[in-house]
This record gives sequence, structure tokens and C-alpha cells, in this order.
Amino acid sequence: MVSVTSSRLVRNREARRATLALERPGVAWAVPGLLFFAVFALAPMAGVVYLSLTSWDGLSAPQFTGLHNWSRFLSDGQMWQSTLVTAVLLVGNIAVQAPISILLGVWSAGHQRNRAVLSAIFFLPLLLSTAATAVMWRQLLDPNFGVPAELAGLLGSANLLGSQGGAVACLVLVTSWQFIPFHTLLYQGAARTVPETLYQAAAIDGAGRARQFFHITLPQLRNTIVTSTTFMLVGGLTTFDIVLLLTNGGPGTDTSILPFTMYQTAFRTYDYGYASVIASFLLLLATGASFVMVKLSGYDKMTSTLEGM
Amino acid sequence: MRSRPNYLAGIATFGWLLIIGVPLYALVNTAVQPQTTYTDRGPVSLPSAVTFDNFVTVVRSGFVGYLWNTALVAAATVAIVLLLAVPISYAVVRGHGWLTRGVFRLFLLGLAIPAQAVIIPLFLIINRLGFYDSLWGIILPTAAFSMPVSVLVISGGMRNISVSLYEAMALDGARPARILLDLVIPLSRSSIATASIFAALQAWNGFLFPLIMTQSDSTKVVTLGLYNFVSEYGANIPALLAAVLMSAVPILLVYLFARRALVAGLMGAGGK
Amino acid sequence: MMNSISRKRACATLVVSAALVVTAAGCGSSAGSAKSATGSVQFWTLQDPTNSVQQAAVDSYNSAGPGKVAMSVIATDGFKDKLRTAMGSSLMPGIFFNWGGGSLTDYVRAGKLVTLDPALKSQFLPSALQAGTVDGKLVGIPARGTQPVFLFYNKKVFTDAGVQPPTTWADLTNLVQVFKGKGITPFAVAGNATSSWTELMWIEYLVDRLAGPGLFQKIAAGDWSQWKDPAILKTAQMVKGLVDSGAFGSNFASVSYGAGGTSTLLDKGKAAMVLMGSWEYATQQSADPAFAKDGLGYLPFPSVEGGKGDPADVVGNPTNYLSVTTAAPATTAADFLKTTYSDSYVAGLVAKGEVPVTVNAKQALAKAPDPTYAGFQYDLVQKAPAFTQSWDQALGLTLGTPLLTEIQRLFNGQDSPEQFVSGVLAIKP
Repeated sequence: MVSVTSSRLVRNREARRATLALERPGVAWAVPGLLFFAVFALAPMAGVVYLSLTSWDGLSAPQFTGLHNWSRFLSDGQMWQSTLVTAVLLVGNIAVQAPISILLGVWSAGHQRNRAVLSAIFFLPLLLSTAATAVMWRQLLDPNFGVPAELAGLLGSANLLGSQGGAVACLVLVTSWQFIPFHTLLYQGAARTVPETLYQAAAIDGAGRARQFFHITLPQLRNTIVTSTTFMLVGGLTTFDIVLLLTNGGPGTDTSILPFTMYQTAFRTYDYGYASVIASFLLLLATGASFVMVKLSGYDKMTSTLEGM
Repeated sequence: MRSRPNYLAGIATFGWLLIIGVPLYALVNTAVQPQTTYTDRGPVSLPSAVTFDNFVTVVRSGFVGYLWNTALVAAATVAIVLLLAVPISYAVVRGHGWLTRGVFRLFLLGLAIPAQAVIIPLFLIINRLGFYDSLWGIILPTAAFSMPVSVLVISGGMRNISVSLYEAMALDGARPARILLDLVIPLSRSSIATASIFAALQAWNGFLFPLIMTQSDSTKVVTLGLYNFVSEYGANIPALLAAVLMSAVPILLVYLFARRALVAGLMGAGGK
Repeated sequence: MMNSISRKRACATLVVSAALVVTAAGCGSSAGSAKSATGSVQFWTLQDPTNSVQQAAVDSYNSAGPGKVAMSVIATDGFKDKLRTAMGSSLMPGIFFNWGGGSLTDYVRAGKLVTLDPALKSQFLPSALQAGTVDGKLVGIPARGTQPVFLFYNKKVFTDAGVQPPTTWADLTNLVQVFKGKGITPFAVAGNATSSWTELMWIEYLVDRLAGPGLFQKIAAGDWSQWKDPAILKTAQMVKGLVDSGAFGSNFASVSYGAGGTSTLLDKGKAAMVLMGSWEYATQQSADPAFAKDGLGYLPFPSVEGGKGDPADVVGNPTNYLSVTTAAPATTAADFLKTTYSDSYVAGLVAKGEVPVTVNAKQALAKAPDPTYAGFQYDLVQKAPAFTQSWDQALGLTLGTPLLTEIQRLFNGQDSPEQFVSGVLAIKP
């Protein structure tokens, strides 16, 4: 680009900027969606935050108790244990799902025909609801009649759900099995937008497949990695169907992740005030983590990975 | 493209095919066996007896009606989500500075709302609006909860559109609406498709909202209908899994068609 | 710009206050408006094979009236959640299916339930009515068959081993050794945390055999310190002894009842016995009718030497109940309840393999699909000096859920017997 400073060019740039300002959408574009979202998602959440300051059993009127529930939460040992298990599962899930999803997504972005067929098959687990997947895996993991029975020699023991390590591994397995297809879809769409010219230039420079992957593909997938990891984070903090159906938080309370504990507090002990504290805490954690992720990666600057081309 | 075949990729994908395929095989395998014999052999062996009675049982339980309800819920959810999330994403990506960034952050907040926690206030709101025991009681919250994801994905797709394209259209005197329809939507088709699939799946597989917001048989959706085969102390596993299979087929068809749109819509996404 | 900020703030305030208003106003309000004594009654029931019998009763009631009953069948796993959510709002049902005992206590204390006509009591077996009475008021009447818990065994496995099913604890421990020697799991149990109620049954019987029904009755009445009773510790030690001696095999912590784990073990002869509720028969029947008919044996839980409890005592689910809320038009609801002891309803239940607890049930049982089995259960319940309700139902979920967790930890060795006792005591400090 040749930079020539002349008054004509400056005037053109200003005129251009003024013209461009016209074509930008204002906040009014977002209002209908915001209102809808506010009524059906934000308002209930505000209700939950309010409930965390009360004591309520769901039947009579809530009693305002101020920060009592919160101080109870902060001194509750069970809550810290739950947080720890949640973190362990989260890290496990991300560590397993991210690499596999990226590799699969990039692979299925290729245009070979067999890849299209196989990608469709790989997508199938997502079509099953979480409950259905958990029910299916519960059958498969039966120590006497399921897969562990046939692989007992390989695995050492068929009693997979009977220990904390085994239960955590099974939960990671089932969750990954179900959600890797979703993340693969994200990466597939993104990988397809990486311009072929980049790869061609690198090939001319003599870069091999691995180098191209690490130096071209991954950086171009930066935004998608942020999106995908945010989903995994959020998923780990809000979903617990698989835990409920496979281990019910057991053995003992070894896999009682925070969202599960929240559900139990609300719908088993009917202590909605306390459950609302856990829910608000989860919301804070998840939002905080996504904010941090977005900030660190510059995602909210809305820049394209293709800038400068 | 690549001239040498990628052996590593080949082996890895074969391995993944096994991991995906074996449980799915077990699913189909159990669904085609009678309840009396399905435990005779392991879940991954060949069936000792094959029957399609389970599928008949499922249809007889009113499953087709449930599928129809679920399809309505999914279609309406996707429609609402797209109608609202596309303009929001557009505003977030192309709008003025800090206000629209605030909107984006607001939706990030919404990503993490735990459904089980808000179910009671939400139930009260739906009840007060008069939507209890109607499909709208399911559609509206599901759509609302799918919006953060959709905004995240669609804005991710929209930001890959090169600035020079906007400038070109602006210099032609185009207003934001025209730019949205003629430039942005066509170029972010893949992310819109992804968001649609996600919203559709949320609607298709949702259990909690249908459970709490409906009660009649006429508003039952597929996930509730599965419980026709689950009682307090036992379950008709083959029929249950047959129902699971049947509930997955329609959305599989949608995915297969959406994929074609995905592939077709990926021309020239980006600058020159 | 300033407009945008204050507009945003106004919006936010509006949203929050709307949420507060809606939540606060929506909570704790039941239908306070005047309603007539007859009208439409919303009846919520659990998804179950007996739904057809209930529907028949509803249809025949609706043809005569007064008023109408509309039955809604709710998914098994979500029933309690949905009920609880609705009970705090204007949408609570008029009549609902429940498990009696602790599941009703909160509703009674919140004034949601209507006390039922005491004259109804004469239609049912007294032991079954106990769990329908809360704080001295009759709030639930039986609407299902009884589900006592007893031992099931695989007849062929026993014949092959040349032994008899146990009638005393000494027999039982002896049999454990016999079957272990043959590579057969003596007792199938579902030790996964999703099914720890199967382990609860062992504790219930052992405590009853050792200390009699009074101990748990005191606990259920509110005296949590009764867990310190030596019988509790002895029970925990006996359980540990069983586990350590291999009575349950080594994989039980991964076995889930819902996945057909224990029933299949018994059916295939990989386990010799299982302690289970009477529904086990129906479960076996759908999986393997031939086995249920000829190969499945059953007998009461053995006596325990030196125990204070009567060996004829029984634990389990006395029955399931129907309760009436303040939202129901009173006359219609009360009249509909009378169908629960009508001859056609009882006959319908019997045909489904249930054993109703009405006084007119005995004659109807002659027409049961398996009269011997039905008769066995009816006699067991009728002759039992005490029929203790499953503890998790009697105590309610608030206390029952952590109790089940402790029991699971005891069985899979995470808690020693002493830790079990202190863990349970800590549930309600």
C-alpha cells in the first residue's frame, strides 16, 4: 500500500468514514431479541438471584434472610468438594474433547467424498438426547452384561463406576462421545473458511502437513477455539444429566458436580434459597470465565482472522 | 490438494469410527431384539433373534403425535432464534463501539444460566402469561436459552466478512438492512446453519421444559413420550431404545439437508 | 449517548423488578378464589402399567359425575419435580398420586392437602393406611397394590447346589459360602448410587429384625438421635461382614437397577438370590416369562438370631396413595376417591398382577394371573405385625437422599460402620 498524503486523499477518507457510519446498524437492531431474552431468560435468573437471599421451600411465601445462605455456602465443605470435582471433570472434558474435535473438524473440512459420508456418521451421537445417551451407556457399562464384562481383562476390573477415578473416566467418555460431534461441526465450518492460498503459499515454501496445521490452521481457528472452549466451560457448569443418570453423584459423593448438587438441593431437599446460591455462584463462575477467555483472545474486538489479506 | 495419502488421519478416523459406531451398533442391536432375549448375548454381539415389534409398540403408543409436536417445537424455536439472533449478531459485529459490546457481554452471561435453577421462576412467568400446557410454553424458553449460543456462533461467522466488502456496499449507498440481506446473511450461511442445528437440537432433546410446562397427552413431546416405556421399577429397554432411534431419525434427515446448504453456502467467505 | 445509558439502566431495573414481582407474587399463592364443590378435577398420576386401570375408573366416573376428572400421566423420572413445582402455584393438581409418609409431610404442613373422610378407612387394611396418615390426619388413601420386600431366588441354582433357601441368618451366611464356592454371586444388589435403595432394603430388614419396628418409628417421628442405638451399629457391621465375605460379589457398585442389572443376574443364574420388592416378579415376567413362572422362588426375609424384632415383620411400600388438594372441587374429588375400592377397580389391579390392600381384595385375588404369588403377598402383609414403609419415602427426600448416600458409602467400603453412624447422625444435627 502506497501512502500518499495529499489533501484530496484526506478528504476522501473523511467522506468515506461519514458514508460508512451510515451503514452501521444501531443498537435498535438488537432490541427485539434483547427484550425477548430479558423476559424468558434474564428475568428468571434475576428471580434466582433474589431467591438466593431468601429461604424458600417452594410451597409457602419466601422469607427474606439476606446473606445467610451465602455465608453458609462459603463455609460448606461439601460445596468445595463439589467445586473440585467440577473442575476435574471440566479439565478432563476439555483436554479430551478439544484436540479430537479440532483434528476431526479439520479433517472433515476436506472435500473428499468419503469424508462427507463419515462426517455424517460422526454426527450421529449428537442426535440422541443426553438422557437417551446416558440410558444407552448405562446398559453398555453394566459390569456383568455390558462392554466391561467382555473387556474385563483389558481394563483390569469391570467395576468401572465403583471408584472415583473410574466414574470420572466414564463420565468424560460419555460426555465426549456425545459432544465431540458438536465441536467438530464448529471447527469444520471454520476450517472451511481458511483460504486455500495460505496453504499453497506454505507448500511452496516447503512446509509439511504438520507445520501447516500448527502455523496456519490453528491460528486461523483462533476464534472458533474460543467459542468451542466457552461452550465446554459452560456445559461443564450447567449440565448434569449424564451424572444424574449414570452415577447419581456417586460413588458416595465422588462425582457430585456443582450443578448436580444444586439440583439435589432444589429438588431433593427443597431448599431453593440455598440452591439459588449455588446457581448464582455457577453463573458467576461461568460468566467470569467466558469474559476472561474473550478478553484474553481479543474475541470481542470483532476482528476477523483474515484481516490484512 | 494433498498428494500423499494421510495414513495417520486414516488410522485415527478409523479408530474414531469404532468409538462412535460400536455404541450406536449396540443401540440398534438392542432395539431390534425382543425384550425376552436381548440380554442373551452381549450388547455388541449379533442378535439372537430379530424383531421389529418394538417399533410397532412405539408407534402404537402415540409416538407419531409426539414426533409432530416436537417437530413443531423445533421449527418454531429455530425460526424465533434466527429472527432475533441474526440482527443481534449483525449489530454486535458491525455496530458502534461499547454499547454493542455490552450487548455481546450480556449474551455471554446468558450462556451459563442453569435451566434447573431458573425453572421455578420461569414456570411462574409462563403460567402468568397463559402459556402453560401449550407448546408455546416450551418454545419460548427454549428459544430464549438458545439465543446466547446462536449469537456467539453467528457473530463468529459474521466477523469473518472482510471490511472492504462493507465499504464497497456503503459507497454504493446501501443502508444497513440491505447490507444485511445482500451481503452478511449469504456470507455467514454456515454459521447460521450451525446455530439453527444447535437450536433445533435443544428443542428436539429438551426434557425439563416440556416436563414442567406441559401435562396433557396432546402437548407431549418425544422426550416425555419415551417414558411410556419406563415405569418406576423397570423399563422395556428394547422398546425404549427403539423409541430413541425413531426420535433421532427426523433430525438426522434435517441434518443431512442442512449439510448440503452448509457446503453450498461456503463460497468466497472472506476478502480477495 | 446519555439517553442510551439511562434507557439501558431503566430497562435493567424494569426487568429485575418484574422478576421480583412475578416471583414473589407467584409464590405461595394457591387458588384462593371461591369455587364450587363440583367441577373439573385435575388428577396427576405416575406413568405406570396400571394407568389403564386408572383411566377406566376415570372414564366410568365421568359418565356418572358429579363433575369430571381429567387424568394426566406424568413421566416417571420427573413426577416429583413437576409436582413440587406446581404445588406452589395456582396450577397444583386436585388429586395426585404419591408415596405417602414423608412425601406428604411438607404439603400437609403448608396446608395444601384436604383431610379425607375417616369413613374411608374401613375399606382398607389398617397397616396400609399408616403411611397415608400425617400428623394424625388421614390425607392419603390406598390406590395401588402393596409392594412388600422379600427374598427371591433362582430355583435351579438352589437345586443344583442341593441347598434350601435360608430361613435364619445362620442359614444365610452359610449359603454365602456355598455359592461363592460355586462361582455364583450369592446376592445380587444394585450398588450404583442411582439405585442405592436396593441396599437400603437390607438395612431396613436388619434393623427391624434386631430392634423391632419401634426404633425407626421414633426416627421417623423426629428423634434423629435414635441412630445412636447399638442396633444401628450392629446392622452396619453385619452389612460390612456380608460385603467382605463376598456375599454381593465384587462388581455391585457399578450395577444399576434401571439397566436390568440385578434381575438379569438372577435370571441367568449368575446370582442365587436377590432381596427385592414384589415388582421383581413383573420385571422377570417381561424379560423371561418362563423363568418367572417356573424358575423364580420367593420367601420372607430370614429371622436373625437374638433379635428383638418379630420375624413376621415386613418392610417395603405399603401401597401408593391418592391425596386431595385444596384446589379440587370437594365433592367431585371425594366421590372419585370412592372408586379406589370399587370391585371393578380392584379387579383391574389384580389382573395387572397387583395385590390391592382393600378389604375386598382377598376374593378378587383368586382371579390373579398367579394366584399363589398374589396370595403369598396378601398373607404376608395381612399377618405382619408391622409393615415399615421404605425409609426414603417415610422420611421424605430431604433426609432420605443423604441417608441413601451414606448407605451407599457403607456398602462400597468408603465408610466404616462407625463412620456410617456418625455420617447419618450428621444429616440432621
